[in-house]
Amino acid sequence: MQPRLHLRIATTTLGLLVGASILFPIAWMAIAGFKGRTEVLRTPFQFFPDTWNPHNYSAMLHDHQFVRAMIVTFIGAVLFTVASLFVNSMAAYAFARLDFRLKPFWWVFCIIPMFVPMMAILLTSFVVVAKLHMLNTMAVLVIPGVASALQMFFLRQFYLNYPASVEEAALIDGASRWQIFLRIYLPQSKAPFVVVGTASFLAFWNSYVWPVLTITDPNLTQIMQVLGNFRSDRGNDWGMLMAGSTLAALPTIILLLIFQRYIVNGVRISGMK
Amino acid sequence: VSTTDEMSAIPATPKLHRTRAERRAAARSARRLNESNLTAYLMIAPMVVLLGIFVIWPLLYSFYLSTFRISFYKGAQWVGLDFYRYVLDDPRFWHSLRVGIFYALMVVPIQLLLAYLLASLIKFSSSRMAAFLKVTVYIPAVVSSVIAATVFIFMYQDQGIANWVLSWFGAKPVAWLNDPQIVLPAIAAPGIWLGFGIATLIMLAALLDIPESYYESANLDGANFFQTTIYITIPLLRNVFVFLIITGFVLTIQEFLLPLIMTGGGPVDRSNTPNLYIFNSFRDTTPYATSFSLAASLLLFFVLGAISLVIFKAVSSVKAVDG
Repeated sequence: MQPRLHLRIATTTLGLLVGASILFPIAWMAIAGFKGRTEVLRTPFQFFPDTWNPHNYSAMLHDHQFVRAMIVTFIGAVLFTVASLFVNSMAAYAFARLDFRLKPFWWVFCIIPMFVPMMAILLTSFVVVAKLHMLNTMAVLVIPGVASALQMFFLRQFYLNYPASVEEAALIDGASRWQIFLRIYLPQSKAPFVVVGTASFLAFWNSYVWPVLTITDPNLTQIMQVLGNFRSDRGNDWGMLMAGSTLAALPTIILLLIFQRYIVNGVRISGMK
Repeated sequence: VSTTDEMSAIPATPKLHRTRAERRAAARSARRLNESNLTAYLMIAPMVVLLGIFVIWPLLYSFYLSTFRISFYKGAQWVGLDFYRYVLDDPRFWHSLRVGIFYALMVVPIQLLLAYLLASLIKFSSSRMAAFLKVTVYIPAVVSSVIAATVFIFMYQDQGIANWVLSWFGAKPVAWLNDPQIVLPAIAAPGIWLGFGIATLIMLAALLDIPESYYESANLDGANFFQTTIYITIPLLRNVFVFLIITGFVLTIQEFLLPLIMTGGGPVDRSNTPNLYIFNSFRDTTPYATSFSLAASLLLFFVLGAISLVIFKAVSSVKAVDG
């Protein structure tokens, strides 16, 4: 038993060290948020602040631009997540369970976008949303990305594995396809919905390039725009910037911690391996 | 019932003699198909319309625009594929491609190595430690590139922590983001950090799929850890490695957000990845820059798409050793 115990202690120590070094950039960001303007980059180098002063954090939480961006981005991310779950799961169900005319054509049509890189359509998407008079609206942030080939594909894989006998029984009982989708499939979709829903939320929360191109209205400015422009807008106040970055990263990390079980397993059910 | 009737009604049907029951079943399923046609079309309509407007149409429009020379003075003039030739003749495009390839050659192998080591560590850890590590490893993946870039810029400051660590070894401070030799590895660090978590979880799922009995019988035959790694683990993970190499390569060569925020492509274009080069020329005001950069982005799309398609075909045709 003795060598086993040694092995256990060794892997545990190694595990903790590895975990700490993975989290180091985030910890360093949070620590720097507690440092004053003069200590944050000082010679000689100093690891921890003299006093743990939460001034930067409270200043960011009282900063109108920052707080408004957090709220607006959060609202947009929730709208985006709900809309994309609805649109993608509905199409996923149809492709998994229904036969219809020209199905192979529509399938290819809906899958091709998975291989189209953002850069190839960035400029012309901008032309499209400008022509549709969507610039500087919440709609331009939410709508263009709602339909996602990847998420539809992922949900379809899940629905394909769902037993068809349940559906046949419901059909014999006179249920319509809509009822089957809404009453049987949606309530069963919690696990895949958590996985793709979190992905949608993160994609919206973390997006930078699209808002930079389409939003100039300060009332709709997104959180990553605020952080990305922080140094040009407000100068090199690193303590403030690190505090703001920590606060902006928190929602995503909390989301991961809440849904960790589903998300970590999501890599398995996606069948990507 | 004559067979000619049936043939005229359904000319394409190869089966000529059908029983009454079969025909009734066919009619019923046709009715069902009509019904479900409407339902199905309503269900896929939002998806099809949105993808049509915001992906397919912009893609076709990109291609269309890339074949015109758009000038403020003379109006648009169709030039066919000329811009694609200009892109292929442009040394800055080839330079950006080299930068992208170097960047991917730094990021992907290190990510894979880290993912393999971490997945092995998680496999041998206690279940509580494994649960902790699985979440920890995923945390960088949820952090935005903007935040990661900002934190690493902060660490790369002259008085920042990166130079402090160098000072332990008596080394002089380094201008991480201003030194042409160092800038690309300096940008690769956050790139690796953001991406290795997902690779680790995919690798772990594959590791756990290898039956424990393989190792047990190898151990009975006296194989040590390194032998089982070389003769069992690595060969059985081959497909996962190939998958992660290709997807990793296709993704990292398209990276542009990190260099955009950290350096803007400099110094002297040393971190000007292909997509950053394209993105910056979208904003370029010189004539024809639009068509030129559209042509470049589409060329990249065709090349990368073709690479991943060909290699995926090759991987799926060569089946792995039975698992």
